[in-house]
Amino acid sequence: MKKNKTDLNRRQFLKSSAVAVTAMAAIGAGVGLIKKVKGSDTRRQDFLRPPGAISEETFIFGCIKCGLCVQICPVQAIKLAGINEALSYGTPYIDVREQPCDFSCDSLQCVETCPTAVLDFRPFKEEGEKVIDEYYRENDVSDPNFNPFKVQIKAMREAVVMGVAKLNENTCLAIKGEGFKGTPRGENFDGVYRSPGRGRSGGRGQGRGRGRGRGFGGGHRSSNREETKASPLREKIFDREICDLCVTECPIGCKAIMMEESYDNNGNPTYKPKILDGCTGCGVCVMVCPTEQPSIIVEPVNQI
Amino acid sequence: MFNSIKNNPPLIPKPMEEMPHSKLGMDYKEWCKSQKGNHKWRNIRWPVLIFINVLFVISFLLDLSVLEGSLSGSRLIGFYLMDPYNALQMLAISSTTGYIIHLTMNFWIGFITIILIYAMMGGRTYCSWVCPYHFIAELAEKLHDFLVEKKRIKEHAFNRYLRYVFWAGFIVLALLTKNLVFEDINPVGIISRAMIYGPGLLLLWILGLVIFEIVYSKRFWCRYVCPLGTTMGMIGTFAPVTIKFELDKCGFCRDCQTVCLVPHVLWFVQRGKATQEIHYAGADCTRCGLCIDTCAGKALTYTVKGLDKLL
Repeated sequence: MKKNKTDLNRRQFLKSSAVAVTAMAAIGAGVGLIKKVKGSDTRRQDFLRPPGAISEETFIFGCIKCGLCVQICPVQAIKLAGINEALSYGTPYIDVREQPCDFSCDSLQCVETCPTAVLDFRPFKEEGEKVIDEYYRENDVSDPNFNPFKVQIKAMREAVVMGVAKLNENTCLAIKGEGFKGTPRGENFDGVYRSPGRGRSGGRGQGRGRGRGRGFGGGHRSSNREETKASPLREKIFDREICDLCVTECPIGCKAIMMEESYDNNGNPTYKPKILDGCTGCGVCVMVCPTEQPSIIVEPVNQI
Repeated sequence: MFNSIKNNPPLIPKPMEEMPHSKLGMDYKEWCKSQKGNHKWRNIRWPVLIFINVLFVISFLLDLSVLEGSLSGSRLIGFYLMDPYNALQMLAISSTTGYIIHLTMNFWIGFITIILIYAMMGGRTYCSWVCPYHFIAELAEKLHDFLVEKKRIKEHAFNRYLRYVFWAGFIVLALLTKNLVFEDINPVGIISRAMIYGPGLLLLWILGLVIFEIVYSKRFWCRYVCPLGTTMGMIGTFAPVTIKFELDKCGFCRDCQTVCLVPHVLWFVQRGKATQEIHYAGADCTRCGLCIDTCAGKALTYTVKGLDKLL
């Protein structure tokens, strides 16, 4: 009697195990199929990995989907992917048209907080230490302006490569020779960024932006002034004779993008934003671009 | 270890006059029901479970930096904590690709801290005191029991060793696909992330699972599948905090087994099964305290092994 019972148990166990193994095999096959159809690389323009992301192949298993990077981001640029992203479900991404990374945390906190180092802090740390050493060699500690952190932060920021910006020359206002007046994305747009205060760069003499805002004592705030904190784009009002928002609002500056000025056959000046090697792919230019479809996009870079 | 105790010759059942209800001079059925309505530990456990999960939500909502992250991986006032099964899958894959050396110290701290905590707390404490899916499943279980009682549905039980098949299977699957496959369907992670970062379509899967548990098999996921719970059980096998059973106070009513999520850990409560005067609940016990609440003779109590001898 007892033997019969254990036999029955064993048979039942083997039977349900077979079902379990089949179920898991089905899940495995499903994952394989999704990988084949969608490809393991889900990066596209609106699916940019946060700074320091390692190659997608490793990222997909290294990311444990905890969302610590989401929580630490002061401008809430990082979001977790939904089920539409298939295998990337629950992994972090940045949609730069809605909210780019403007580096206003200063120290790449999302990268620092990542426990599994799929956002890898080591290159930034090394970069930062390098410039600090240099700074100590070249500057005097007794100088009241002595501040190695500023250069460290700058160096770390410039070492980011999330993607590279790319211009759509057909719709760009500057190429068409058009200016821009007002606030680029409408009154209801929620994106924020920290204005680097470079309003007059790029040789645009008259293109002086004026900003209205509630901050800083309630007075008028010029969007040309450098801000210490990120503020909503809808509070910033620009007035440019030739639209150069992508150039002036870039947090990296002249290393990443510049306004190229040349003359056509009739001797009239033509303008074209030119993306340089220093572009980090942060996407502030994409957010501030006033055309309906952004005339500048960020193409993700898959680092190896 | 527990099997060896189980296979010992059982103690001779005590005579009727030594049964706890006889000592009190009560009717047996009345005695059995004397603790009905006592929900002391449940009334502690549910608020703790809800508090932990709400703390995750408000930490993010109000930017409190108390308990950041989600149940897959979190930071409690600066100290990292990791989901151990997630970490195991990740370690398995990364040891084959060589990524393992890149993992941060914070990862190892989190992984080891969690192991230490649950090695102390024991068994599947995580399940009944932290896991949000457990809470939902506990409510679903009540509905299921009600329907079974009304004979609307039939109970379907499986072999509980099935979860080791799933445990190993999902690690193999992770290795084969180089993806954290289990995390994609893990109800704990899905519910935790849905609460913290906003709901998604994957909640339909949770709904399906709950319905399956209601109409087909009681606590199906927790009992037979969940590799996370299995991992926790493995970690907490020899934990000092556990449930103590004293044979002389037991009236063999088996009410505790009825309420228990994992009844096999209370194998010794049946008349003529106990082999020792004192037994401790095994690795699968979730330390939920339901059996303690329901026990008429107070034969079951929380205990810290070793400490009770010291005091």
